[in-house]
Amino acid sequence: MSKNLYFEDVEIGDEIGPITRSVSDDDVIQFVSIREKKVTPSRFTSKEFANSEGLAEAIVPGPMNIALMSQVLTDWSETVCLLKIDVVFRQTVPHNKELTFSGIVTDKDETGENTKLECDVVMENSDGVKLVIGTGIIALPNKS
Amino acid sequence: MTTDEGIVYDRSLLGVETHIGTFELTRELMLGFAKSTGETNPRYVGDEHGKGNIVAPSTICNVFVSGVSRPDIKLEFGEISFFAGQSIECKAEIRPGDVLSASTKLDNVYAKTGRSGKMVFAVWETHFKNQDDTTVALVTESFVRRNKSR
Repeated sequence: MSKNLYFEDVEIGDEIGPITRSVSDDDVIQFVSIREKKVTPSRFTSKEFANSEGLAEAIVPGPMNIALMSQVLTDWSETVCLLKIDVVFRQTVPHNKELTFSGIVTDKDETGENTKLECDVVMENSDGVKLVIGTGIIALPNKS
Repeated sequence: MTTDEGIVYDRSLLGVETHIGTFELTRELMLGFAKSTGETNPRYVGDEHGKGNIVAPSTICNVFVSGVSRPDIKLEFGEISFFAGQSIECKAEIRPGDVLSASTKLDNVYAKTGRSGKMVFAVWETHFKNQDDTTVALVTESFVRRNKSR
């Protein structure tokens, strides 16, 4: 993570990440247990339950996916301020599989009125299939 | 092509705000959220001992919207429901001890037909305000219903 990234340092086309990680069964249970004191079987925590809903395996909850997607941006630098993130779930996200998160700067406000940047972000599986895509708006501080 | 023609659901719910809960954001909850998502940014997890000032990761409000029971829109379509997409606008920092109040409303219902057949989307908007009546986040969620693969 870059400690001091400033608006002036960034250009359209700059790449963010990639970050590679997987989401374990325990990660999902910990996430779910933030709201549920007693975690019950669901498509997120039980392969059998997921199978009963026509899914091949237990999947990562959508809210957890969006948290992971936002980290691509907030891990870029300690100076990043996330203003908005918008994601579309293209495919379900499995547990315990390698996932690659990356981003690219697609727009930069050049008016001088603010320090906002727009970015595309994507989560892909190990075959390069896009599982979750999205856009983010972030702000960085000026050097001055 | 999208349309809402022919979709059977309770249209009286469109735009009607419903209070869905009040949530206290403890430091423990914030750190649990950060840990479960592999967060390492000291802004969210503190120093190496978990000490120091922290704020919540901006997407933490998802924890609260994902578990709520919303009004049943009585949608007469599909056998299985998925979370299709979401946007979060981060309006203000969320700090340990904040108490957030959330209200939600059905914003839109529409259909799309793709390669796998017809899908119906329901879009909900949820506002989170803190104890000072400051909006801290606006969450827009889209859920899709479709028939199971045969």
